[in-house]
Amino acid sequence: MIHLIKNAVREGFLNIKGKLASFLITILMVSLSFMVFDIFLVVSWNMGTVLKKEQENVGIEIFLLENVTEVEAVNLADIISGMDGVRSVYYVSPDEAEAVFRADLPEQADLLTLLGPQFHLPASIQIALHPNYRTSEKVGGLARIISGMDGVEDIVYGKEYLPGLTRAVDILEELVILAGFVLALSLSLIVANTVRLAVAKKALTVQIMSIVGAPGWFVKMPFLGEGLLTGIAGSTGSLLLTGAVSWMLSSSLPHEFLPGKWIMLVLILGASSGVAGSWLGMKSGIPKPRS
Amino acid sequence: MIITFQNVSRYYNEWPALENINIQVQEGEFLVVSGPSGAGKTTLFRHIWMGDLPSSGAVEVVGFRSDRIRRSDLALLRRKLGIVFQDFRLLSDRTVYDNVALPLQVAGTSPKAVRRRVFSLLAEMELNHRRGSYPHELSGGEQQRVAIARAMVAHPVILLADEPTGNLDPEVSRRVIDLLIEINSSGTAVVLATHDPRQVPAGTARFLYLDRGHLVNPSSWDGYEQL
Repeated sequence: MIHLIKNAVREGFLNIKGKLASFLITILMVSLSFMVFDIFLVVSWNMGTVLKKEQENVGIEIFLLENVTEVEAVNLADIISGMDGVRSVYYVSPDEAEAVFRADLPEQADLLTLLGPQFHLPASIQIALHPNYRTSEKVGGLARIISGMDGVEDIVYGKEYLPGLTRAVDILEELVILAGFVLALSLSLIVANTVRLAVAKKALTVQIMSIVGAPGWFVKMPFLGEGLLTGIAGSTGSLLLTGAVSWMLSSSLPHEFLPGKWIMLVLILGASSGVAGSWLGMKSGIPKPRS
Repeated sequence: MIITFQNVSRYYNEWPALENINIQVQEGEFLVVSGPSGAGKTTLFRHIWMGDLPSSGAVEVVGFRSDRIRRSDLALLRRKLGIVFQDFRLLSDRTVYDNVALPLQVAGTSPKAVRRRVFSLLAEMELNHRRGSYPHELSGGEQQRVAIARAMVAHPVILLADEPTGNLDPEVSRRVIDLLIEINSSGTAVVLATHDPRQVPAGTARFLYLDRGHLVNPSSWDGYEQL
């Protein structure tokens, strides 16, 4: 069996060696097609990172009525911290609010002086949420419950921008999946066509192998191997090309390259579309032995 | 019996390529199947290596029956057969050595055993000096000897030769037929398809005549008198 496998691998290399130029051209074509996808992924990844950062900041801030004491505020914070979706709560006293105001907006600090010592910024409770609670529906639901609690004067959770943000993240994820699917399909067709041509060119070899008693897998394996290699080499080539473009643009357009997981995804997509393409190509290409 | 045809008929769009064929071939026998072009000789051969299956009836070859054979068994059946074609069917991108070695390589024979067998067979067939040559560098007779070597390399039980002399001049044809007789005398059954049965000396083989898909009595075959 081991000799049979070795010979099948050897057949694969003979196939490629016999048409090295067209094999390299196919890899280049696959690389260029994948490069379009890779660039789309880089853009998506960077947009996604920005959107995710925005989403991480999604939280709720409750402004308390002036008559709420610090003890009552802390009790309220305790109740809120036990609610579903709440990761942490932080009580901001009027003094701390004033200190933050002065630190963040020093040019408007005079305004507080002007309003006099009787004026106090309201105490508030800042609520951080678990990641899966950062959608507009869940934040809105939580905000509605909290707004009905005693001592709450106002509640802020970015209800204007949150639905758009959530939708943008969803659309981006859907686009990546759709583009991946379309690209995998088109790449499979490219590889399928190449393998079909390879099979047609090797029709006599395939026939003779079958006639002299080669098992079906022995005949097919070199073509599947060729598809696999084309897919992996093509996707690797595309990553290298995209990496080079990304590096050249990094100073004028700061961005991040794809993370390891996405690189693996591109390689797996390349390998699987290569194999699928070979399978399709063989299905229509392998002739029945004639006499 | 190593080959049995039981009431085999094969129709292509209702046209009968073979009709009600009954043949039995014994181990070590030399059978010549003759008949004009289009008589069904090639179709008969395709049924032996099961490149085609009967529309009705059954073929049994070295224990494999056409009505029960699985796809995976085809390779096993074909390893017991050696097949030679009129147009040689040598792989142009491989040397004589690689062409002859192919049936052993696809059967998973070790490289050492492949080398030993191919070298000895090429020497036997006086082709050793040509082992590094490509098919296009050989004469027609040499190409057909390489094709026969490829068919014989895996020690087949049956050698099928479909018009092996069709593209050769009379002198080379005679040497190819002599080679087939020699192969048969060493115990391998030979089934030869030819439109000219006079190539095979009487008494060395059994003769069957096909005409328009039917086995016919030699005396009733139209072309027999002209032979």
